[in-house]
Amino acid sequence: MRRHLAAALLWAALTAAGLWAARVDLLPLAAAREAAIIDEAFRLLLRLSVPVFAFVLAVLIYSLVRFRVRGEPREEGPPLFGRGIVPWVWLGVTSALAVYVIFNPGLRGLAELRANPTADLVVQVEGSRWQWKISYPQYDMTVREVVLPVGRRVRFDVTATDVLHSFWIPAFRVKIDAVPGMTTRVFVTPTVAGSYEDSYHLRLQCAELCGLGHNLMASPVRVVDAGGFEAWVARGKSR
Amino acid sequence: MTDDSMQSGPFGALLPVVRGLIVGVIGFLLGGGATVGAATLLGRSAWPAEAAISIGYLFGLTGWLLGVGVWDAWARGWFGLPLRREEVHGWPRYFRFTTDHKVIGVQYLVTFVALFLLAGLFAMLMRVELAAPGRTIMTAARYTHVMSMHGIIMIAVAVAAIIGGLGNYAVPLLIGADDMAFPRLNALSYWLVPPVAVLLVSTFFAGGFDTGWTAYPPLSEVNATGQVLFNLAVITFGLSSILGGVNFLVTIGRLRAPGMTWGRLPVFVWSVFAASLISLTATQFLAAGLVMILLDRIAGMAFFSALRGGAPLLYQHVFWFYSHPAVYIMILPGFGIALEVLTHFSRKPLYAYRWVVGGFLGIVALSFVVWAHHLYTSGMAEYLHGPFMATTELISIPTGLIFLAALGTLWMGKLWLRTPMLFALGFLFNFLIGGVTGIFNADVPTDLHLQDTYFVVGHFHYTIMGGMIFALFAGIYYWFPKITGRLYDEGLGRLHFWWMFITYNTTFIPMFWLGMFGMNRRIADYPPALGPVNLFISVSAFLLGASFLVFVFNMVHSWRRGPQAAANPWRARTLEWQVPSPPPEGNFPSPPQVTGHPYDYGVPGAVHAVVAVAGAAGPGAPVEG
Repeated sequence: MRRHLAAALLWAALTAAGLWAARVDLLPLAAAREAAIIDEAFRLLLRLSVPVFAFVLAVLIYSLVRFRVRGEPREEGPPLFGRGIVPWVWLGVTSALAVYVIFNPGLRGLAELRANPTADLVVQVEGSRWQWKISYPQYDMTVREVVLPVGRRVRFDVTATDVLHSFWIPAFRVKIDAVPGMTTRVFVTPTVAGSYEDSYHLRLQCAELCGLGHNLMASPVRVVDAGGFEAWVARGKSR
Repeated sequence: MTDDSMQSGPFGALLPVVRGLIVGVIGFLLGGGATVGAATLLGRSAWPAEAAISIGYLFGLTGWLLGVGVWDAWARGWFGLPLRREEVHGWPRYFRFTTDHKVIGVQYLVTFVALFLLAGLFAMLMRVELAAPGRTIMTAARYTHVMSMHGIIMIAVAVAAIIGGLGNYAVPLLIGADDMAFPRLNALSYWLVPPVAVLLVSTFFAGGFDTGWTAYPPLSEVNATGQVLFNLAVITFGLSSILGGVNFLVTIGRLRAPGMTWGRLPVFVWSVFAASLISLTATQFLAAGLVMILLDRIAGMAFFSALRGGAPLLYQHVFWFYSHPAVYIMILPGFGIALEVLTHFSRKPLYAYRWVVGGFLGIVALSFVVWAHHLYTSGMAEYLHGPFMATTELISIPTGLIFLAALGTLWMGKLWLRTPMLFALGFLFNFLIGGVTGIFNADVPTDLHLQDTYFVVGHFHYTIMGGMIFALFAGIYYWFPKITGRLYDEGLGRLHFWWMFITYNTTFIPMFWLGMFGMNRRIADYPPALGPVNLFISVSAFLLGASFLVFVFNMVHSWRRGPQAAANPWRARTLEWQVPSPPPEGNFPSPPQVTGHPYDYGVPGAVHAVVAVAGAAGPGAPVEG
């Protein structure tokens, strides 16, 4: 019993230390409503995995310290076969955890991401080796950078002309493949104004291996306020 | 040619290989030539290089196999020709179409450790390029080819090193059999491997291939001819894997010694059984996908070409329908070795043995219904996200049982921290990180960000390298005395473990952060702000690479000059330790009589089996090592 208590204390200590360490924010700039949802899911999973990780680590460390034999062991350990209640409890706890994670953050996050299938602005994105073509059909404009108004819901219609590419803006956290012959969609609501010059996470990066120029296939992303966006459109029109 | 002359000198020893090469080249020229001839007759103006290579390869592969031993092993007897009877001893056995499972095990092991080191060298080249932003030593094209080579060779190592090497060596011994069920098929599985290595290395002379190991179309339909060689190589390797799977299933099903019931099967045997179920039933899907790419390329079909009415997404489903179960082909035998070693070196019964077996079979079943978690961002129908997320998260339940068994076995044990045990414990730690980070990839919301980033690279290196490769080393050190009859150097073994364990973790832990922080995978260059972390990873990786020099030195030196090993230096209870080291041909003079469980440590009077071997240990009795 004392052994179990000591290991449990170690588990508690490791969990506390892990949860404290998990407060350090390792994620980059989050510049969209979707990024907030995804980061919340990330942090929840991190907090859930700390006690699981700490449990295994606690038993490992405790066993190594307490049950290690110097030199060749001359005797054998007690024959514990694990035929009693312990595996059932283990099965119950791990199953409950797995099912919980499916619902939260899994299905809950998915529901939040898909809650609103409407968009104020449609942006068409076409990947070709090795550049992105960005079009605004509402304004009849085609450009080489992504400019978005802050606080407006945007739908990206994504496709490719040659091979697979993938649409990824790290600051928005969302990713969708650009597939020849198909149009894929992703919704984003930018929440923070900024540009690639401020943060390299505001870039439209190809994330699916597409050959020679794959790593160079990126376009700058700029999020501006409503007035700035109208001015940008007007400038584009007049050109 | 007499049998005596075949044995004399290095040329005699290599004769079957030379014969295979000659017949193979003749076959290749015949097949390729016929293709070119037919194309000319049909008035095709374009030079049908890829068709000629593919059809030539089919003939060449057939010729190679016939020359290297298939003709002698099957056809001579069938056609009533005089059989070649030859007794080959010593190192020339390893260059022959030999049917002894122990020879084949060593052939696999040495081949795949060599391939592991080769693919490791490619990783070193990648880390040189990635050590600083901008171009360092390679063009982006060369980087992508090197990265793809690293990927596919390591995948092959992960699939075959444990099963083909340690599985072939240990499974018949562990179940008390004299050989595999189909010894000639076993040899065929091995001799299919050299053409795979030759093809992959040849890609350097055919423009390379730039699609990673996943070969996603349409890119894989429009790139250089190296892609054709890649496809042929992987299809051949798949055939080898399928044949191996059949062989293990029949061997374990039919050749167990009297009394070796399913409930007494050593856990490593169970793990190979479970992995073989997958290799037998899933590998065809990968081969089919790659054949479809070949047909698109060389025969003008349009399975995956969107421009001609095909569906690029279809390939990803077919590919992952094999390739996700395949990660369990890699890791299940790793679980088996880790638990085997943990049990013997904890001097305790394997905790919750029957739950472990249930866990293995649960993993096999679930592994077939999780593949589309690789496709959350692919553009597949969105209603599929929820179900595949659910099945994927559920696979943590049977995997959790492996951890229950490991921790329950360690608890109150008498832990003997020799090198195999250190690697098994390292496996547990690393795979724990691999498993926990897998949840982040399984969860759709977080995966939308993490997919195709270094987070994924970190995750699968933690499961496959931190898991499977650590288990492979645990197994190599564990069975080294049995295989070679000599003891490895314990000090060097421990040095290898700590050196590898520490540098492994410092190499791969930062990759999780890189991925979260916006570094996508499979790129030769990255945002300059990520330079310092990449430099740190590169330096760690070079140190990690250097740790294998200790391993190679230990193995080579100990095999040649190490002290003689007793039959049972670990005082383990399973059958392979009850026969001399190395075991004689045929393993057991008569079938062992199995009367009890293999892991009944601490049970007074427990006996696993009665093995009739002169001069070896009694059943389960301690032997001075």
